[in-house]
Amino acid sequence: MKIFTTSHIFRYPWTQVSAANWRKYPNENCPHVIAIDVIDQHVDPETGILRLERLITCKQNVPSFIRRLCGAASVTYAREISEIDPKNKVLKMTSWNLSLKHLVSVAETVVYSEDPEDSSRTCFTQEASIKCGESLERFANYIESFCVQRFHDNAQKGRQGFETVLERLRQSRAAMPAQETHD
Amino acid sequence: MSRSISEECNNLKKEYDACFNKWYSEKFLKGDCNPECDEIFAAYKECVLGAVKSKQIDKLLADARKEDPFARVASSDEKK
Repeated sequence: MKIFTTSHIFRYPWTQVSAANWRKYPNENCPHVIAIDVIDQHVDPETGILRLERLITCKQNVPSFIRRLCGAASVTYAREISEIDPKNKVLKMTSWNLSLKHLVSVAETVVYSEDPEDSSRTCFTQEASIKCGESLERFANYIESFCVQRFHDNAQKGRQGFETVLERLRQSRAAMPAQETHD
Repeated sequence: MSRSISEECNNLKKEYDACFNKWYSEKFLKGDCNPECDEIFAAYKECVLGAVKSKQIDKLLADARKEDPFARVASSDEKK
């Protein structure tokens, strides 16, 4: 098993980051995400915590040699559960791959929380664990390293893509201060 | 707006996303957690779950839900 971690500070308040999180796609920096659907939602009236379950549809995102080896489909699916605590200003998202689990299991947790030292900023952490299935144990090191590198590349692109979304929303707020935009 | 898993659900998704984003920013983040988009969500979800079934990922999803259940307390299904 291999673990990938990264962190970043977004120079936007948590409320803006958490709202923009649901408007992140489509994103030219992350063309592999082709569809996102909410499949369950629940607000706990006592804690005020919102939970969302989403299904993510991705275009081929597996190494071509696995594709050759296993004839993997060109579309893969992932499941994500988000927990949003508006009082403590924490948004936590955990996702798992649904497809190809017998080959590789990937579990990723992303947390956006208000910077305790500066409420105009948001701390971001990402952790992914990648574990190769038993049938491919011989190639485990290669496959897991490949996936870690893929995570590294996608994390950078994803961050850039999200910065673009945040900036676009900031501009639209500045242009229409009295009006909310919902695109 | 991102697309839905199935083209036939795109319009419902659009409507739900618009409702959700408005509710999230204007109500939820300000402490009002009364749900507002339940009706459109029910229709959208029905459409998506139909697509999940026809694309034969319902079993994968059911297995994953068994492993890591979504709802610790109640889900929108149980409210009906």
